[in-house]
Amino acid sequence: MNPGQVQYDYRHAIGGFFEFPTENARKLLPPHLHPVEPHHGQSVLSVMAFDFTAGSVDNIGPYGELVLSVHVAPRIEAGRPMARAAFYPFLVGTTTKESREHAIARWHLPHFPHNIDMNVTIGARDITVGAAHGGAPILDLHITDYQWETVEHYYQAYMHDASGSYMATMALRGRFSENEEERGGITLHPHAFTAGLDIDGVNTTPFRELWMRDGTQTFDPLETLQPGVR
Amino acid sequence: MAQGAAVRADHDYDYSNFYYSSSDDLFAIFGPYDDWWYGSARNNGYYLFSQPMSTKPGPEINLEDQLTHEHRDMLNLASYNYLGLSYHPEVVAAAKSALDHYGLGAAGSPILSGTMDLHMTLEKELAAFKKKPAAMVFATGYSTNVGLLSALLRPGDWAIMDQNVHASIVDGVIMSKANARFFRHNQPGDLEKKLKGTTGKKLVIVEGVYSMDGDTARLPELVAIAKAAGARVMIDEAHSTFVYGDNGRGVAESFEMEDQIDIHVGTFSKALGGQGGYVAGSQGLYNYLMGFARSRVFSCALAPAVTAGVLAALRVAAREPELRTTLWNNVAHFRKLMSDAGVDVGESTSQIIPIMIRNDRKILGIAQKLQRAGLYLQPIIFPAVAKHRSRFRVSISATHTPEQLNRAAGILVETLRSEGIL
Repeated sequence: MNPGQVQYDYRHAIGGFFEFPTENARKLLPPHLHPVEPHHGQSVLSVMAFDFTAGSVDNIGPYGELVLSVHVAPRIEAGRPMARAAFYPFLVGTTTKESREHAIARWHLPHFPHNIDMNVTIGARDITVGAAHGGAPILDLHITDYQWETVEHYYQAYMHDASGSYMATMALRGRFSENEEERGGITLHPHAFTAGLDIDGVNTTPFRELWMRDGTQTFDPLETLQPGVR
Repeated sequence: MAQGAAVRADHDYDYSNFYYSSSDDLFAIFGPYDDWWYGSARNNGYYLFSQPMSTKPGPEINLEDQLTHEHRDMLNLASYNYLGLSYHPEVVAAAKSALDHYGLGAAGSPILSGTMDLHMTLEKELAAFKKKPAAMVFATGYSTNVGLLSALLRPGDWAIMDQNVHASIVDGVIMSKANARFFRHNQPGDLEKKLKGTTGKKLVIVEGVYSMDGDTARLPELVAIAKAAGARVMIDEAHSTFVYGDNGRGVAESFEMEDQIDIHVGTFSKALGGQGGYVAGSQGLYNYLMGFARSRVFSCALAPAVTAGVLAALRVAAREPELRTTLWNNVAHFRKLMSDAGVDVGESTSQIIPIMIRNDRKILGIAQKLQRAGLYLQPIIFPAVAKHRSRFRVSISATHTPEQLNRAAGILVETLRSEGIL
């Protein structure tokens, strides 16, 4: 790990990419970010859940994290790691106060202001994460596996708040499975956590399912974006 | 790789990684793209795309290897010349004659000076073949859908499409600025869901045969749902006209649902072995498209030699149903060869037979081996199809002989076994 980088260790990191109306995506994005459309008029809602065991700073212990993001156009530039995808996380939920405060302060990530509960169920070739708050369900995400390999993948995360616009490059390392077999699914429940989504417009089957195990998520130092930068 | 390191060309990248760049310079993406293309992609298999053929697209061809520049004779299962009409003597003679008579080009837009008597005859005979009041000819299949949809749909209207429809349909809808929704492939329940909440004018769009999977539309259920929602229905029979139905009119004919579908689209480049496309439907539709189908209005009319060749091919296809019989016998024969060998052909029921490899990294290497063994098949990879659904797309033709199909299957099966796919 290089100086300035922050690393988080996880047992499981799962994600589903769901098509949803671009009209909904644009309402969630700041004006300088543009949604990626796999189909005309359809953007990508990313629902990711992490089962972290530790972080390298701020003494944050084991915690769960649920991230709702919109896929946005990545920065592709000579000299920069090639990102597999770029995300704008519009709402993050964590299971502990410490992890929430850490992520708000360090990464400018918008958070649900309360601890959420996350329940992970692992099957022979699938994994289900149920998230809830105060006894009310938020969502249930079901992801299936395919072939496993060890990878190092780069992603970009964009953040935007009253203080400015930021970007973080992150590397995800670990055992990895990805498929587009359309066997997974999501149930989104009406809840303050999902209030930004037109639930009926979100496809309930992910067009891509990702599952990583026993790996690390390493962030490069946060970059501040200049006004007007894309 | 630490930030600031050089971009690494890698097998994990594909076209989808180079859609966006971040600079204010429009050309800034060329550098990273060329790093990938020349550093990895081209020599590792992407050169297999667009290799020049130096013969007619028949069962046996000659192809130039873009890496070594060797010319190889190969069996061809890649061309969609389903009835072998592109080189039918009658078709070639008609094209030659038209070339002598009319010269090379139409020298004008169809609405100005470009319409020739040949175009009118083709439209008239095509309408009669499709049993529709009118048919309009376009210069390409792509411009058919783009012109049709951008002519009909307006902002605020709804286009509800199968998620696997052709890019020309999507682009036509984009150009129209209508609202777009995609339903999950061939799933009537999802069509019903996607139609909910739509108001005003609606068009549901399906294809007869889907070009990547070779499966057919579930027309009875889909059309019933569309009609119940008050939507018009369009079918693109690019791969099914002249192939499906007792008379070759397509999948709609095979389901006896031609009159329940409002707009019938097709091409001349598949079964007829030519070029161009058509829209068949009501006279009102024809009249309106004449004024508003901009891709047709602002393009030169179909070249006379091609028009004459297509007209001859149409006559042969209508006159000789035994061509379709031979095609379907060939399809059954090849399908049995694949089944006996345990080859995964997905959900195909048509003359398009995907050979499912389901390994995005190996398929390009397998394609190289197949070509060097004398079999021409095109690999289809992400993002053209979903991840891990890479496949070779076999197109069967009526002009393949059983012996050619046996040889092709032998090369294919042996190669797949040697690569651990079987």
